[in-house]
Amino acid sequence: MQYKLTLDYTLAPGWMRPYVDGLKTGQALARHCTACKETSFPPMRVCRCGDTQLDWVVLSGRAQVLFRTEGIDGAFALVQFDGADTRSVVSLDRFMPNTHHGHLAPSTGDVPRLCLHPITEAEPT
Amino acid sequence: MVPMACVFGQSLEFISESLKMSRHDAIITGAALTPYNRRKDGTGFRDWSTDAFFDALAMAEIAVSDIDALFVASESDFFSMQLNPASVLATELGMTGVSATRCEGGGASGQLAVHAAVNAVRSGSARHVAVIGVDPSASSLSGDAVRALYGFSFDVWTDGFTGATSSALYALSYQAFAQPYGTTDDDLTRITLQTRSHAQKNPGAHLPLDSTAQDIANSPMIASPYRRLHCSPLSDGAAALIISGQAYLPQTRRSAPRVGGIGAATDHMHLGARPAPGDFVAKSVSMQRACAQAGITSDAIGLAEIYDPYAGAALQGLVALGLSDDPARDLRSGVFGPMGRCPVNLSGGLMGQGAPVGATGVGQTATMAMLLEGRYHPDLQPHTLPRYGVADTHGGLCTTAAVTILERGAGA
Ligand SMILES: [Zn+2]
Repeated sequence: MQYKLTLDYTLAPGWMRPYVDGLKTGQALARHCTACKETSFPPMRVCRCGDTQLDWVVLSGRAQVLFRTEGIDGAFALVQFDGADTRSVVSLDRFMPNTHHGHLAPSTGDVPRLCLHPITEAEPT
Repeated sequence: MVPMACVFGQSLEFISESLKMSRHDAIITGAALTPYNRRKDGTGFRDWSTDAFFDALAMAEIAVSDIDALFVASESDFFSMQLNPASVLATELGMTGVSATRCEGGGASGQLAVHAAVNAVRSGSARHVAVIGVDPSASSLSGDAVRALYGFSFDVWTDGFTGATSSALYALSYQAFAQPYGTTDDDLTRITLQTRSHAQKNPGAHLPLDSTAQDIANSPMIASPYRRLHCSPLSDGAAALIISGQAYLPQTRRSAPRVGGIGAATDHMHLGARPAPGDFVAKSVSMQRACAQAGITSDAIGLAEIYDPYAGAALQGLVALGLSDDPARDLRSGVFGPMGRCPVNLSGGLMGQGAPVGATGVGQTATMAMLLEGRYHPDLQPHTLPRYGVADTHGGLCTTAAVTILERGAGA
């Protein structure tokens, strides 16, 4: 017996709205803890130190690739954004094997995306 | 064991004290699994649940009317198209009127249901409890649809916004593990071949593949370093347990294993927030809590069923559970083989036996119970029974972990 189900969701970002809106334009909005000075991206509501007094800060959007995986499922990486103390999982768009830095890309389509475009200029050694 | 900088939840001292308050030891009197595979015979989740439940009930040597509570593990309504499956199964099994609860914690759902049942028995609020884990993860939806649903196992608003699949996130975590522990692609091949060789002796296994290292190397790259043969399949199936209070144990079931300890914990939801993204810290904390209840350390464990959706996750699990500090060395020397000090995944694990999500944790504990009572498949049953075995399950990228330690029964 075949049965087809189609669902149309409306999703609300709540407190994460600045981060979600930032992804649409390619801005990395992070949370900075006033107690321990740690910055999280993606943003955390409660800092790893346990404090809840956090401010929104804008990062440059530049990130260094730490680990990357590629295959049928696509290309993804664990990266460190400049100015962030936590790391981030991103998708990689058109990265060559010897490219190790990228920049947060503006999202295309309906759903915000954490996607990195390669930085092609000469990389710092 | 892997240290955790800041652990919320039960302290080990609290666990040791609180156990003294529980009224009853919990005993695994019944355990059963259906075969795990892709069903093409027109049967559904009600049929598999019924088969597993009545097999477990027969082993427990009690009647349906003896069951005081039912806990059902099922990961997603999208697999079964059924909300409130616990009530459906209560009626289906002829126990309408019983207290029925569904337990859900992603891939850990089954083991969390075991924990809920153990707590019901220990508190004295139930004499005998049934646990059923079930999911039609293979036959009801296309593989692509299930993979899309599995994407919701991770924080949809952070890691989910990358479009990363489960395989990709596990691959990144494994790479972060492989660097300090020095495991290589050869070790992934070794654990894959070992686990699937066990599955070949399990008549209920989904992937009893007789593949070679070359077959693995030739299989498509899903998310480097994981190739298709490093991954577990999506399966249909069910597993069931009957858990009884010591005071209500049938005279004929004195050899049934006792629940020595249970432990569960969580980790940061997004991978990048973890100080060491290759460490399964929630699993370590769960194991420490379970060991504190059992009054043992991890080196007392002589059998393990480890949650291995991917080859590397088994290696990460061995370290997190405190069963190895050098998994590559111990794997090569046969520590985890059928004749080793601590045989791992004799069932074939998720990689070989398969993974009907809700059934997985229940099935791992059922497998361990049968092994510790000498009732497992003859070609896999160790002749010498260790005192303790562990069943280890997790959900997400080890975001929710749940561990159960069983102790061999007095008469086994
Ligand atoms: Zn802080």
